Amino acid sequence: MNRFEGCPGSRMMAFQEKGKAAKETTGKIQSQLRQWPIQLHLISPTALYYQGADVLLAADCVGYSLGGFHPDFLKGKSLAIACPKLDEGQDIYVEKIKSWFDEAKINTLTVLIMQVPCCTGLLNIAQQASRAAKRKVPIKSVVVGIQGEILKEEWAAA
Amino acid sequence: MEAYLNKSIKEVIKEFPPMEKILDEYGIGCGPCAVGLCLLKDIVSIHNLPAEEEQEMMGRIAQTIYPGREIKVPRVQRKTEAQPKEIKYSPPMKKLVDEHVLIKRWLALIPDVLKKLDLQSEEDWQLIREGVDFIRSYADKFHHAKEEDILFKYFDENLDILKVMQEDHKTARNHVKTILEALEQRDKETIVRHLSAYRGLLTEHIKREDEIMLPWMDNQLSLSQIGDLFSKFNGAEEQMGFKPQKYEEFINRLEEKFNRKER
Repeated sequence: MNRFEGCPGSRMMAFQEKGKAAKETTGKIQSQLRQWPIQLHLISPTALYYQGADVLLAADCVGYSLGGFHPDFLKGKSLAIACPKLDEGQDIYVEKIKSWFDEAKINTLTVLIMQVPCCTGLLNIAQQASRAAKRKVPIKSVVVGIQGEILKEEWAAA
Repeated sequence: MEAYLNKSIKEVIKEFPPMEKILDEYGIGCGPCAVGLCLLKDIVSIHNLPAEEEQEMMGRIAQTIYPGREIKVPRVQRKTEAQPKEIKYSPPMKKLVDEHVLIKRWLALIPDVLKKLDLQSEEDWQLIREGVDFIRSYADKFHHAKEEDILFKYFDENLDILKVMQEDHKTARNHVKTILEALEQRDKETIVRHLSAYRGLLTEHIKREDEIMLPWMDNQLSLSQIGDLFSKFNGAEEQMGFKPQKYEEFINRLEEKFNRKER
């Protein structure tokens, strides 16, 4: 038994099917990123680009799995990325997200996570912060499959 | 066929009365609508039926208009495909739907309130007074005002569905005005007639909003507009300084009195 088989988040898989030509997008794809930094430990939640913004909180792996990440999800939003499985200091994450709600007065929060179970932790962190915040905003949860398909998109309870 | 899709439902039913029954069989209860200005194509689009059901219904409509002829049935344009029956509302729409629940609990109590109404009794007179206060303060000022002053502003004011909803609000206000006047005269018959009519009107109105208008609006609004709408609802509630608990207690008290639980 492979030592990674027990955890769906670490299980090895290869997607490229033999004889199936990969569909390629030609031309340069415009980046929709409009800020720096983006890692949740590095950002300041009250930075100008978060004020009143539609914010995207994406799990690290999403950026590599989702082909349309920039045009379909990042466009028009301010970003932060994090990994709920490997990152330390997640109590700081809760405080920063709470600060988005109460101080930066963000407009909406979209939490973009992978389908693997550990990734749900990022949505839980956002919901925990929302419960602790005085001000509520709509939270949308989007689950991405490991081959980049959108599996679920729904409004999450605050 | 295109020409009929662009006609108001009232005109189409007037010309082809069996149409009302066909629409009703697919859960589209627009036939008895007092206004009837919505176009047939908008009604089909807004109800968001599964594709096969929509095609079947459109086929029956075409046969009613052109009996015995083979008509190519156009697919009505819609922004999204049919959704499963369970409706998932965005947070601002959910707020409105949750408020509808308390209003529906009041509507369910009205027959009990009216059954043994004795306006010579101070208790019953006061009960109607409180019921009218619930309608004016909670259902109208707190709830309908959010719809009219905030939600509807995101859409073209000439949309038929908005006109129908606003017309319903206006009719409801007229019923309440008449009930208040009748209350001063202790005129039981008028109160019974108008409160029953209010109940019928609001029951249909809320059903249309919950099942058709709000899901349709959710599909039309962008993520950013949903956030903005939610924030404006919260701001309006704060500004009104309104305490809905008083009205929840009123409904709880009545349900206890009449031994009903409609949750």
